[in-house]
Amino acid sequence: MQQARTGPGAGAKPRKDVLASLKMASMEEISRASLPAEIMSSILDYLSPVDLIRVARSSKLMREMAYDDTRWVQKLKRMGCWDEVEARKHAEEAFGTIADVQSVEHQEGVDTQQTSEPGSGVSQTAEADLQAISDGFDQIKLSTSAAIDMLNVSENDPVLGALKQVRSVRGEARQEYGKVHAALAPYYNDIVTSGASPDNLLFKNFTDPQHQAQILSQLQYFSECDTSEGWYERTEQLQTAVSMFETAAIKEFRHGYETEDIDDRMRKYAHVLYTLNGGNAAVELFIHHNHLVTRRSELGKVSDCIDPLTQRIKLEHTQAFFTRLSVAYNEEVSIINRAFPSSVKVSTPFIEKVGQDVLYPLLTAIFDELHRANTESYLTAVSGTFAQCLNLSDTLLPIQNVDDSFDEFLDHVVAKAYEPHLDLYLAEELDHFRKLSEAAVGDWDRQLSEQAASTESFLMSNINRQADKRDFLTSFKKVIMAPVNILPSFSGNKANEPKPDPAPSDSSLKSPNRFSTIASPTTPPIMEAPTNELAAKAAVMKSKLEGIRSLFSIEVALSLVHAAKSSLERAAQFMQIKGEYGAAVKRQCEAIFVALVRILGNRHLIGGFNNAVDHLSNYRPREQGERDQSGVEPLVTFLELVNVGDLILQMIDVFYEQELVGNKLTDRNDFLDPAVKEKKKFEQSLDERVAAGLNKGIDVLMEEVDYILATRQLATDFNPSVSTDPYRKTMDVSITEAAAAVVDVVSSHTQMLVGSTDKSMLDVFNQEVGLRLFAALCKHLKRQRISIEGSLKLISDMNHYFKFIQTFKNNDLLLYFKAFRELSQIYLIDPSDAKELATIIADADRFNGIWRVEEVYEFAERRADWYQVKRDVERAMYGIGCNVM
Amino acid sequence: MAASGNLLTFVSADNVHIEVERDVAERSLLIKNMLEDLGEATEDIPIPNVNEPVLRKVIEWCRHHKNDPPASTEDEDSRRKTTDIDEWDQKFTQVDQEMLFEIILAANYLDIKGLLDVGCKTVANMIKGKSPEEIRKTFNIQNDFTPEEEDQIRRENEWAEDR
Repeated sequence: MQQARTGPGAGAKPRKDVLASLKMASMEEISRASLPAEIMSSILDYLSPVDLIRVARSSKLMREMAYDDTRWVQKLKRMGCWDEVEARKHAEEAFGTIADVQSVEHQEGVDTQQTSEPGSGVSQTAEADLQAISDGFDQIKLSTSAAIDMLNVSENDPVLGALKQVRSVRGEARQEYGKVHAALAPYYNDIVTSGASPDNLLFKNFTDPQHQAQILSQLQYFSECDTSEGWYERTEQLQTAVSMFETAAIKEFRHGYETEDIDDRMRKYAHVLYTLNGGNAAVELFIHHNHLVTRRSELGKVSDCIDPLTQRIKLEHTQAFFTRLSVAYNEEVSIINRAFPSSVKVSTPFIEKVGQDVLYPLLTAIFDELHRANTESYLTAVSGTFAQCLNLSDTLLPIQNVDDSFDEFLDHVVAKAYEPHLDLYLAEELDHFRKLSEAAVGDWDRQLSEQAASTESFLMSNINRQADKRDFLTSFKKVIMAPVNILPSFSGNKANEPKPDPAPSDSSLKSPNRFSTIASPTTPPIMEAPTNELAAKAAVMKSKLEGIRSLFSIEVALSLVHAAKSSLERAAQFMQIKGEYGAAVKRQCEAIFVALVRILGNRHLIGGFNNAVDHLSNYRPREQGERDQSGVEPLVTFLELVNVGDLILQMIDVFYEQELVGNKLTDRNDFLDPAVKEKKKFEQSLDERVAAGLNKGIDVLMEEVDYILATRQLATDFNPSVSTDPYRKTMDVSITEAAAAVVDVVSSHTQMLVGSTDKSMLDVFNQEVGLRLFAALCKHLKRQRISIEGSLKLISDMNHYFKFIQTFKNNDLLLYFKAFRELSQIYLIDPSDAKELATIIADADRFNGIWRVEEVYEFAERRADWYQVKRDVERAMYGIGCNVM
Repeated sequence: MAASGNLLTFVSADNVHIEVERDVAERSLLIKNMLEDLGEATEDIPIPNVNEPVLRKVIEWCRHHKNDPPASTEDEDSRRKTTDIDEWDQKFTQVDQEMLFEIILAANYLDIKGLLDVGCKTVANMIKGKSPEEIRKTFNIQNDFTPEEEDQIRRENEWAEDR
């Protein structure tokens, strides 16, 4: 051994001849019956510690090899009680104080923690716990202080605290191992040689099961470093002993649970099992034989939760189920808190178990049943119970030392219970809504076609509905903001209907300051007021807007929005599930909104508009028999339509803001979002329809103006001299009937648009109306014959028009009518002042360049005395006849 | 005697030519690496440290274990699992001590990890339960301790005294 040498120096030479190194090596140095040190060292690796020490005693070299510190550190590591950090610290400070050792122990790694835990776990708990531990010694009856001594004993006892006391000091690993070995090997060898039995030395020397568990647990770690031949059988033996002990302890533990001897027996054996091997067996038993799970049928039955007659979910019953569940759960939690050491993870598997075995089967049964029977009730049930579930998780007591992730975890469990249903639910929700709304619109369409014949009569009054509309929208907004009542209240005696019944009777009296936006599902009484107020307002609006019933119905729109809202609210519940399903929910919510816009907007509204525009373009005022004084009916209808369309658009907008943006279902700024795109599309097509309709409307309106001017303007209006009444001397300065009628007709129609379309469109409309009115008046004027006396009437007519146009607040337009006013003066000039007349006619600036001189001349021709003044005027203008003079 | 195909020829220290299949020979990492560097082996391969009986023994072991999975990297668990010697190896190592040591040396030289492990384990089993004096005899070790030193070791390691 002394001549130990390293292996032949293969590869030391440059590789000229690969085999050279092989050839060069020789056998001379090798002495028989000895082995090189490195091989010797690896042989020692296979030896048990006892043999190793014997080898060490054979010679100095052998001692050196056997004492090698890494060999022993290795063993300590295998037992999980070597702490590299501590060792390093020791190396740094030579030998640290005990305080240092303790402070380092706090930073111990995970593996060492396992071994140190039994001691620290006990020491952390309060005096009550100590008492409980001392209960193990029934015959001794220790006082509290004695119990503390006991603890110290268990910490300091060379056997009980063997692994705990190991210090990680380099160079002393062998000594440390020696202590452990001295403490544990007798018990280990006893179990190995005599097999597992209650008569093992271990069980004889220690009577307290807590201590027995502690030693067994240490033996398991100790067996880890037994690597010499036959370790497998030895470990087997130890495992048998452990499982024997475990079975006995579990039995005690279970007995304790069943006899509800929680603070004493159950607690004691939970700690014993925890000390033994982390207590997984106890946790498993507790969870599998849990009262909550075994008695789950007492919590509630599926048949209770479904109304057999209407096939509706009875949310009170599910709520009762959840309440019972939470009570039972909290009971179990208190047991857990009392019995289990705080570091055992009972909560997670327990909650999972409850979710899987109690929650999930019931929910699945209910949902399956309802899905077969009644879709709507299914939808209500899914979202309703989900909300209840989340409420439930709030009422649950926390288990043990709960960290922040606990709530998240609870939600996760709830989400897991719902995940299998979610896809179906979302699909059903959308489908349900689509079907419902399509049915509503279709139904309404059908009704409409049935009474198509009678739709020709409209009873419209031209009032400005601005205020009404604003009022209605306010109510609508309030209702939208209030939560849909998914959960009926269980606090009161009577259960309210999930959806408040619209009863417009007295509720409109209720003051709006009772509104509350608290999204608490337990405040349904507050809900009633706004909903019913809205219903009342809706009824008022309905009566006012009866005329457009034939085109589209605000009621239908309202009910659609309501359906969409409740669908959305239900689906949005599931937003709380994060991740993939959350995203799916979001998409589905958007899909519902898109469906709403499509059906309400494109089918209902745009269809109505198309009808109205068609109707308008087919309108022939001349063919209409009797005429209503107030306006052109189709146009009135159309303008009302614009109003209502705008109202619905705003409704959708409010809905979008409140439900989708407000609930963070969609991003307003994301222009690729399907909901936003659909909304934009709808707004655009609505604008297009309005524009098209207005174009037709102006045509019709002007036809009406022409008609009025043609039929109402008497020939004597502006030429009273023709009149047969020779006594009429007084100047009549009042406006003519025709002018009044025209202004009435036009203004009543333009007024209707105010507030319902946007400003720019209104301006365009007014400008067009003004220009067309101007053109119509020009044409009209050229058909009249005007005397000087009649000119006064004309001037007042013109002033009347001018004042009317002024209300448009459109300066460009106003110029035209200013020019008209100026123009009317040419009829006032006395025939004798032909020159003046000529100056005015030639003065293009006077009319702001609206007419050329020739055109003004044409107007002048309409003077009743034109042929008398013509010569003078022409002379003044062109100088003709000057020479003759 | 040139190697043909998959056959290699080893030449032992006492100049005996032994033919070995290449895959068997490659259990030895030394040979394997050499062949990889060399490409095709065209000449005989001298194994100068090993004489014929030992080399035959080694080749016997390699042939039996030629399909073993390559030695896994040295992690702690594998160390523990391979502590026990399988039956064939037990029979294989039933040779006199001198032969056993020769085999271990050859395995070490040829870098045949499996065989080296088997050898070490066998030796460890030989040590097991022996007194220091018996150990010295077995390994031909001189006792260079003074009686005081010997006593000190015993005191230091009282825990290891007989059960």
